[in-house]
Amino acid sequence: MAFRPRRALAVFWKDFLDLRKNVGLLVSMAVLPAVMVLVPIAVVWTYVNTPNSADLRSVAQFYDPTLPLGASAARFLIDKTLTDWFGLFLVMPVFVPILIASQSVAGEKERRTLEPLLASPVTAAELVAGKSLAALVPAVVITWVAFILFCVGVDIVAWPLVQGPLMPNALWTFGVLVIAPLFAFFGNGVAVLISARVSEARMAQQISALVVLPLVGMVGGQVAGILKAGLGFYALQGAVVLVLDAVLLVASIRLLDRERLVSRWG
Amino acid sequence: MSGIDVRGLGKRFGERVAVEGLTFHVRPGEVFGLLGPNGAGKTTTVRMLTGLLSPTEGEAVVWGHRVDRDGEGLRKVVGLLTEQPGLYERLTARENLRFFMKLHELDESKAWPRTQHYLERFGLGGREEEPVGGFSKGMRQKLAIVRTLVHDPSVIFLDEPTSGLDPESARTVRDAVAELASEGRTIVLCSHNLAEVERLCERVAVVKRRLLLMGPVRELRRSGQALDVRVDGEAERFRVALAALPFAPNVLAEGMRLRVMLEDESHAPDVLACLVGAGARVHSAVPAQRPLEEVYLDLLREEGV
Ligand SMILES: Nc1ncnc2c1ncn2[C@@H]1O[C@H](COP(=O)(O)OP(=O)(O)OP(=O)(O)O)[C@@H](O)[C@H]1O
Ligand SMILES: [Mg+2]
Repeated sequence: MAFRPRRALAVFWKDFLDLRKNVGLLVSMAVLPAVMVLVPIAVVWTYVNTPNSADLRSVAQFYDPTLPLGASAARFLIDKTLTDWFGLFLVMPVFVPILIASQSVAGEKERRTLEPLLASPVTAAELVAGKSLAALVPAVVITWVAFILFCVGVDIVAWPLVQGPLMPNALWTFGVLVIAPLFAFFGNGVAVLISARVSEARMAQQISALVVLPLVGMVGGQVAGILKAGLGFYALQGAVVLVLDAVLLVASIRLLDRERLVSRWG
Repeated sequence: MSGIDVRGLGKRFGERVAVEGLTFHVRPGEVFGLLGPNGAGKTTTVRMLTGLLSPTEGEAVVWGHRVDRDGEGLRKVVGLLTEQPGLYERLTARENLRFFMKLHELDESKAWPRTQHYLERFGLGGREEEPVGGFSKGMRQKLAIVRTLVHDPSVIFLDEPTSGLDPESARTVRDAVAELASEGRTIVLCSHNLAEVERLCERVAVVKRRLLLMGPVRELRRSGQALDVRVDGEAERFRVALAALPFAPNVLAEGMRLRVMLEDESHAPDVLACLVGAGARVHSAVPAQRPLEEVYLDLLREEGV
């Protein structure tokens, strides 16, 4: 079967149009980026406003007992927060495509629109491609826009202490440009796969959302001082996810065949 | 090769046999009715013939495309109206239709005039820019029918096309179906509305997992047991003469018409001879047509025992 980009783009066009009109989904998509941007800015702001607190120094020494006496504890903690927060920030590119793809795949089954769609010449691969694009493009754009707002916000509140721009740094720039899209692909793949098996969008979202738990767990480990994250650590995460992406891609194209979708309608 | 050719088609879902040993042929330009009780396998058959389900036995060729081998070619020439309209509620009517034009890789500027024609015809003209979520049940059904036609399909499968339509709309849809067939398309109609099938279909198949009966509607409805005769003047005048015949136990008269129940078809000429002998001027005499519904219900009753 030939892959016709025009048909994949038709699916993308329709799903994107539908997303733009889905106010409920847009609102739930906006909450996460808002939290992801505002929380770290607030944390940095507290550090900046109490740079000489003795508590800050003891917290800093918990993470790095070798911290020199002359170094600013506030500055150390700001750097640590920015590094660790990237792990949480990755939840966004995973989660947004899960919200969208669950709606667009399981949602088609739920509303019985899948049968007419499958009676058209579109192939499973084109369907997966179009729907994935419709989930990935918004996810990546939202992540990038959030990243820009995040950089501007952090730089503004940290300026009095640092006297210069903190963001974007190498870790975040590499992470947002390279690792985040890989994670978005992963979230989308999981959602497409699960949506192919369940019959309700909500259930697909809930099951798929479980994949963010390991991410949150790792950030928990970083905050607890067990894991030490850095560029290398995140790059490794990215590489693992790249492999998972390839597996998911193959699996979802195979799972979305007509017979299976049609006969699983209960 | 045009039309539909089905040979020994069957489908089982695990242990359950939904359809078995189905064999029939539908010509281009023909409206073919697929009848049967709930769960008889009509939708399953249509899904096999549109490439949505693969048959577990037998084979079918639709407009030259083997359903099990050439799904993509098949779907280009086939239009399917599904049981549920399956429209995108947040999109407007126009966007719903444009989506299917894009899926069929049509030149939208060429496909629109045709589509617009059907929208107008079904009373949806001027509603194109409204979200489908605000449409009534019948409007959705009509829009789904228009969507089935956007790519000018050669073979059209209609699963309950007039369900939820008001009588006037149902009439419009029936006229459109007849017209589509007259343009040389092949149409398969699944319906529980036997009056509609009677009016639209030349031939029907009654299925209940397997084929129970198939034939031209006129022949199935024909009842050897009764004769309809039209005479000059009051038919009532000849009722007594006919009642004297030993093989015509029952005679009804209404206006210029007589319905003569016969013990056997072979007595028809004797009835006419008797009428002529009694001075009747006979205009026509045809075997009475039973309503399709009666034929259908009798058949299922026989099958039941
Ligand atoms: N995906 C499926 N999995 C298992 N069984 C199925 C599936 N689809 C249909 N069946 C079974 O196949 C049989 C035929 O169903 P089908 O939907 O074809 O009937 P139908 O003639 O269209 O009925 P109706 O008049 O109610 O629309 C039923 O017993 C049904 O339960
Ligand atoms: Mg059915």
